[in-house]
Amino acid sequence: MLTMVWNLASLALALALWQLASVLAASPFFPGPMKIVEAFVQLASRGDTFGHSLWTHSWASIERVLVGFGLGVLLGVPLGLLMGLYPKVYAGTRSVLEPFRFIPPIAWIPLAIIFFSGLTRFAFLIFLGAFFPVFTSTLVGVARVEPIHRKVGVVHGAGKLWTLVHVVVPTVMPDIMAGMRVGLGTAWLTIVAAELAGGISTGLGRMMTNYAELLQVPHVIVGMLLIGFIGFVMNEMLLIVEKRLFRWRWQVSL
Amino acid sequence: MQRQMQTGGSAKVDVDATHRYGDLVVHDQLRFSVAENEFLCICGPSGCGKTTLLDMLAGILEPSEGRVLIDGAPADPKRQSISFVFQEPSTFPWLNVWDNVATGLRIRGTPREAIAAKVEEIVRIVGLTGFEKFYPHQISGGMKQRVAIARAFVTDADLILMDEPFVSLDQPTRERMQAEVLDIWRHRRRTVVFVTHNLEEAVYLGDRILILSAKPARIVAELDVSLARPRDPLSKEFMELRASCVRWLHAPGTV
Repeated sequence: MLTMVWNLASLALALALWQLASVLAASPFFPGPMKIVEAFVQLASRGDTFGHSLWTHSWASIERVLVGFGLGVLLGVPLGLLMGLYPKVYAGTRSVLEPFRFIPPIAWIPLAIIFFSGLTRFAFLIFLGAFFPVFTSTLVGVARVEPIHRKVGVVHGAGKLWTLVHVVVPTVMPDIMAGMRVGLGTAWLTIVAAELAGGISTGLGRMMTNYAELLQVPHVIVGMLLIGFIGFVMNEMLLIVEKRLFRWRWQVSL
Repeated sequence: MQRQMQTGGSAKVDVDATHRYGDLVVHDQLRFSVAENEFLCICGPSGCGKTTLLDMLAGILEPSEGRVLIDGAPADPKRQSISFVFQEPSTFPWLNVWDNVATGLRIRGTPREAIAAKVEEIVRIVGLTGFEKFYPHQISGGMKQRVAIARAFVTDADLILMDEPFVSLDQPTRERMQAEVLDIWRHRRRTVVFVTHNLEEAVYLGDRILILSAKPARIVAELDVSLARPRDPLSKEFMELRASCVRWLHAPGTV
């Protein structure tokens, strides 16, 4: 409760200082919070210069993130489990897989523009950003499986599938969730960069570039804040899932 | 895989095995039997391969030579009903007490209602009633070990293997747990193989005690404990038996 009061107070103070600074600067390139709110209301009610509403832009970005991120999880988790359980598979394919980890998703943008269009292009780029954090943490998590926990299953006559579902997955779950939150961060990072690259008319990144070209700073900042806000909400949602899932743990990692 | 559990069953075990890791001989022609319903204690100096022996009895490790037979068939946890209480903490931290205890029953495909009845009974016997919804991190080490013991006994396994299950407990808890295990064993007669390096514990619990030598492990002595239960660790007979165990354990051929 007290933390909330402090947070609200510091937020109010920051906004006040910002407003004050913008009044003193008196420049169209340094808008205060009030101007941002104005721009937000305008974008939300009347849409942008092309008539796309703020909702259209936001949903376009969210949809791309969800599809790409979902693909990253859908592939990263099973592959991480497989390679964690059979380290030989990983050891034998490392040289193919690992270099890709060091190619940033944004370095794929030129190729993605050539090969794909629309949702597929973004899903591909975001997938690249989300896959490795999820894959790597799943892979590392499998090493945390306690031999004694496997043994408990085996002595009671359990097979491989039981061990996978009831021992490996519960052990690795916290790592998978941590990887998902890192992957979600990378996904947002990538979507904005990809949308800035152009070729489409919707998306928060696109909206920001449009207004930057018009030198409309408040509208650009609305886009920035929205990206921060949506990312924050998605992360909170993952944390809520985590809290429900890991009631057995001492604490939930932040 | 649904399997009919024969309740009230109890296994007869025959061991005739040699085990090596590379050139290291762990067990040198270990030959012994455990009768149905018998409580057998196995003692030996540390590093004599007691855990390896239990793994062979559980059918999760095959001896290099010879065999381990349970009721005449090679030990196999998928075919026989075996339970195991481990030395180290082995409860699943992500399951509450109830689900931890039910683990073995679920693996064996026991019907839901039967699980509920069995778990409730065993939880009561080990004194964990009221803690069913607690997670392992919320209960003490002694209680966690009781969860592991309940999990092993609840399956009505024909053969129960225990690997120094009380080694991490303090003395009062340990004594209470020993009494509890005897109590459970009296309630539901089973064949028990109990490994310990605590001779007093062996004399207190066992119908019979095998003393193993250091590697390569052989059986150096076999002692029958014909004292009536509950046994008094301060009685003359108890002390004499314990003393002879000590003598065997320290004999030149043992260490």
